[in-house]
Amino acid sequence: MNRSRHRNWNRVDAASLARWIVLTAFLALAGLSYVYLTLQLYHLGDRKKALENELASLRTQNDVASVQIAALTSRSALQRRLKEGYLKMIPISEHNIVRLTMPAPPNGEDAIQPVANQSASR
Amino acid sequence: MKWNSRIRCALACLAFTAVFSGFSFRLIYLQMIKHDEYAGLAAEKHVYKQIIYAERGAIFDANNEVLAHNVPVETVVADATHLNNLDAIVDLVGDELKISARELAAKLRGDRRYIVIKREVPKALAAALREKLRARNLRGIYFEHDATRIYPNGSMLCHVIGFTDFDHRGIQGVEASMEEYLHGQDGYRYIEHNCAGQEIVLYRGQERAPRNGYQVHLTVDLNLQNIVENEIDSAMREYTPQKATIILMRPQTGEILAMANRPNFDLNLRADAKPEQMKNRAIIDMMEPGSTFKIVTAAAALNEHTVRPDSMIFCENGVWNFGGSALHDHRPFGELSVQDILVKSSNIGAAKLACSVGEQKFYEYIRRFGFGERTGIELPGEISGLIRPPQSWSKISITRIPMGHEIGVTPLQMTVAMAAIANGGKLITPRMVKSITSDDGKTLSSLSPVVLRQAISPQTARQIGDALRGVVSDRGTAAAAAVPGFTIAGKTGTAQKVDPKGGYEKGKYVVSFSGYLPADHPEFVGLVVLDDAHTNKPELNYGGLVAGPIFSRVAEQAARYLDLQPHEEIRKALPVERVALTNVPPR
Repeated sequence: MNRSRHRNWNRVDAASLARWIVLTAFLALAGLSYVYLTLQLYHLGDRKKALENELASLRTQNDVASVQIAALTSRSALQRRLKEGYLKMIPISEHNIVRLTMPAPPNGEDAIQPVANQSASR
Repeated sequence: MKWNSRIRCALACLAFTAVFSGFSFRLIYLQMIKHDEYAGLAAEKHVYKQIIYAERGAIFDANNEVLAHNVPVETVVADATHLNNLDAIVDLVGDELKISARELAAKLRGDRRYIVIKREVPKALAAALREKLRARNLRGIYFEHDATRIYPNGSMLCHVIGFTDFDHRGIQGVEASMEEYLHGQDGYRYIEHNCAGQEIVLYRGQERAPRNGYQVHLTVDLNLQNIVENEIDSAMREYTPQKATIILMRPQTGEILAMANRPNFDLNLRADAKPEQMKNRAIIDMMEPGSTFKIVTAAAALNEHTVRPDSMIFCENGVWNFGGSALHDHRPFGELSVQDILVKSSNIGAAKLACSVGEQKFYEYIRRFGFGERTGIELPGEISGLIRPPQSWSKISITRIPMGHEIGVTPLQMTVAMAAIANGGKLITPRMVKSITSDDGKTLSSLSPVVLRQAISPQTARQIGDALRGVVSDRGTAAAAAVPGFTIAGKTGTAQKVDPKGGYEKGKYVVSFSGYLPADHPEFVGLVVLDDAHTNKPELNYGGLVAGPIFSRVAEQAARYLDLQPHEEIRKALPVERVALTNVPPR
């Protein structure tokens, strides 16, 4: 009796089951990975957009600051401040100017010039 | 006939096959044949072409000081079909943008769907308004990217820089002439939106980066321009002329160092300017040059060797009847050398010099000096002046043109002609643009001097230059143009104003002085022109007395700025006051 009962049991093929479990797990993992990576891509896209906006905002601030600097240092602004007395300027008198004598220019392109041949001394 | 089960089965299969074949054919039709059409329609629903705006290039002076650049702003617009709470929107937007509620409500209640509420709104203000609209859940107001052109120096150099229109296209000055370089190229990007209207960055499509406009560097030096602007302003206060022009140019290279006109306008408030204020008179105004033109006459005679600098010409003691008409000098002269004809500015002497050359040859020399053609400066609207060919001259034209009558020239043409005397006879193209660079500083184009032709020989130029030194001496007509410490060469001009109705306007003159400094190695050529200056006494309305001192003041400051070394021997000696009014200058 025991022998016949034993014979009627459905035997589980462990190797096949393991194969299916691994395959299913692999597919599940692949699916989850796909979902995870896709979400990461969206997330990175949002971050990229946020950084682009931040960069654009910084550029704008930079442009506005440049405009303000240009306006404050412009000739007309400085003159206005000079007139208002915020700035003081005193003309330099001729006797306070020291001029260094510049070396005389060569006579012409074809004039013979002394040269130092550095390669010959090696 | 009795259908058995096999036949019924076959019919059912046939029906299924037909239906699914239909579906298949429809699927193929939609997916393959109509694919592009439907893909396009679908893309229209969720794919947008986002414009990436390019920046317009900036304009700099020779020392890299900013003359024109951009500030980012926003344009506030409304979509009338999206407005969800009109009264609240009117209150909030009107309050933030300083627009009256009634005006704004009328705008928003109009028939149009797309409504521009306000342009050139600063970014910070726009951001604040955007936040407030979001907080109150008000919809229908949108913000569009824009930029506005800013000119930090206001009215300084206004005619040269020019300005742009609403579409950021240059319509005057360098802004217009350099439009193709200053104007960048917008980029684009194809993007997809989600249901909330936010971009899905993952689905970005084709993209092209924008190319910003190139930077234009001018030859103008703002320090010299400032000197010129201050002096022209003080001349306007002192003499209240209708118009005035001052130009400084480097004779060896043709670089324009400064150019100022009056009346002028503020580039940042150009909407308030009148057309008369916007004209760059240095290139679009025609004037009779008067005696400054005698340099051309004398140069023609000397270059043709019909006379020598020391040749004596009889100046008819002040009146010469020629062609049935009398020609007068401002005072009687007997024999004058060719040099002295320029120093004393004898009309009769100049007329005789022209006669010695002949009509055709004299006309050729006028053209050689560039009169009657555009100089080619990089500014829009330049005119060529008016020089009639000898075939249409009257009998007396050969005696009137030599003293600068019966012709029309622009102030810039006169400056270029004087530069030809200063640089050894070369007619050089005046230049306003020094270089063009990309926004990362790479030089794309650097313009070099262009010599159009050798108008006269260097020897003739030197002879004329020697004579012009005498003009700015106590013997000449422009003693008041002297600059302490420097030798100056120059020529005065006083021409009666041409009446547009014909003839000349009585008591109205165009006074001018054109000269260069130092006379030996000229660093700059200058021209001062005042149209209808008002002096205390009419007899003081002469080029030497009105334009000469202005030139002197400009040249002195310019020489100091350019660090030109004064001559030691004449630095202390020259009492300008002594020579200021030593003789009565000619008209």
